Amino acid sequence: MAVIASRRPTERRVLLTFARRNALWGYLFVLPACAILLGLVAYPFFYAIFISFTSRVVGDPGEWVGLANFRYLFGWSSFTKAVRNTIVLVVVSDILKLVIGLGLALILNERIRGRGLFRSFMLLPWAMPAFVAFLTWRLLFMPIGGGINLLLSESGLYTDIIDWLGQRSTAMPAVIIATVWRGFPFWCISFLAALQTVPSELYEAAKIDGANAWQRFLAVTLPSIRQVILIVVLLSSIWTANSFENIWIMTQGGPSDATMVFPVLAYFGMQSQRLGEAAAVSVAMIPVLALLVIVVTTLMREDEA
Amino acid sequence: MIAGRVQPAPRVSRPRLFARGQRLLIYAILLIVLAAILFPIYWMATISLKLPREIYRQPSLWPKIVTLDNYRVLIEEKGFLTNIRNSLIVASSVTVLCLLIASFAAYSLVRFRYRFKGVIGRLILFAYLTPTSLLFIPLSIIVARLNLGNSLHGLIIVYLTFALPLSTWLLSGYFRSVPAELEEQAMVDGTTRIGALFRILLPLSAPGLVAVGIFTFTGAWNELLLALIFITSEDKRTVPLALQYLITGDVLLWGPIMAGAVLSAVPVVVLYLLAQRFMVQGMTHGSVKG
Repeated sequence: MAVIASRRPTERRVLLTFARRNALWGYLFVLPACAILLGLVAYPFFYAIFISFTSRVVGDPGEWVGLANFRYLFGWSSFTKAVRNTIVLVVVSDILKLVIGLGLALILNERIRGRGLFRSFMLLPWAMPAFVAFLTWRLLFMPIGGGINLLLSESGLYTDIIDWLGQRSTAMPAVIIATVWRGFPFWCISFLAALQTVPSELYEAAKIDGANAWQRFLAVTLPSIRQVILIVVLLSSIWTANSFENIWIMTQGGPSDATMVFPVLAYFGMQSQRLGEAAAVSVAMIPVLALLVIVVTTLMREDEA
Repeated sequence: MIAGRVQPAPRVSRPRLFARGQRLLIYAILLIVLAAILFPIYWMATISLKLPREIYRQPSLWPKIVTLDNYRVLIEEKGFLTNIRNSLIVASSVTVLCLLIASFAAYSLVRFRYRFKGVIGRLILFAYLTPTSLLFIPLSIIVARLNLGNSLHGLIIVYLTFALPLSTWLLSGYFRSVPAELEEQAMVDGTTRIGALFRILLPLSAPGLVAVGIFTFTGAWNELLLALIFITSEDKRTVPLALQYLITGDVLLWGPIMAGAVLSAVPVVVLYLLAQRFMVQGMTHGSVKG
């Protein structure tokens, strides 16, 4: 910089070319990533929307059919069930994860003996591969060889054998339990990290003002970690609404669509070779998804700045 | 802001939220949660060590006879080592490719000034949040057109759709926390921009690279949906794919399936626990898939 500054007359030009060359290198470095993402994310994204307006099947590109696929979907019971199930799955598991995750984070933020050990154990469900977690839960809920039935009968709570994943009333609760088991550690750890950045002076001030524990939680803790809670809820909703493994491995959407969700329905559509309709299933959730994504990216970029 | 670098507030002054009497309740809650966390893991491990008759006919909470036969069946009869090999090839290739491309991209986003930088940053975040379930149908058409169907190469390429945006986003966070002065100094001394990246920024971000590498590796190791669509022949199946075919088979082989679950979970869990410290830092960016 000193060298540039000493050459007064050419300073402007040198700086200009420096900025321009700098920008050029910047573009060059980001180019490979951009090219790959354009080809593998952006192009397929718009291609999916295009396919959803065609009668495409495997081996035949089909023709433009306008909204016919979507009209078909809304009259199709599997699709309406998938809409309802996805909402139930996301809302119920979000609430459970929020309560468990935040509760545990508040506990672990205190000086508790064995805190570090508990924290390591708590990470296990999140650290293990999703397919392993859901395979294990499928086994746990089996009528024969499953641990849940055995646990209930050995403890004398309930002795009848329940086919948890095989009957409509219990399949969705079972999937939700597995989803929460796998998901809550991420929530808890994120909240814990946020709690540790709350300055303790705020608590002291509140205490001097005579606030009790619950009032301190409402007045200090909650506002301080509001942003993180919002980001985690939104991110997790996006992931849960689009998770394939939990349903596919545990129930494949059954029994009789009781646990059918968008990704599994789209996958079945693709297996039956009707690509236009299958694409329409995924595309139908873009409006809600886009809203969530725009809100969460705005929050994350604020958070980062 | 990275939590790990912030000086922790003095612990002494933190008020106790719980009175002494409430502590008992707190420990009871923690104990119940711990049991709920560990029981499935315990079940997975014991079933993998049980004989079939102890799994189905005379089930018990504790195994009476411990056997490694399920592991033998899985490896000798089901050819699980091939699946592990395939998964290792795919996951490590994705990791290497991803770290290289993402390092360049993150370097550009953090250290260079140009128009559209904000737009590109936001698009990378969008790409990260675009679910695979939305992309798999068009991707299957594109991959077939490129003649990459049923190949590990094809799988490596499509895995970049979720791996690359995440690693770029996380690496940008790490790079931002490294002061730029050292690179500027090196460049004044005649180092090129690429030299500054490889000799200064990357070595200084080594912990971040390790953590991002672990995320990428495990993400690819765990992926099921795309593998299910793109891999059609048995000898190219990855670990999750092989295990999901075992549950859709005629006879449910829970012993070998759980043996496979243990074998595929252990390396990933060990890596995660090792990288725990860095992971929490990454998570303050609120961007780690869970």
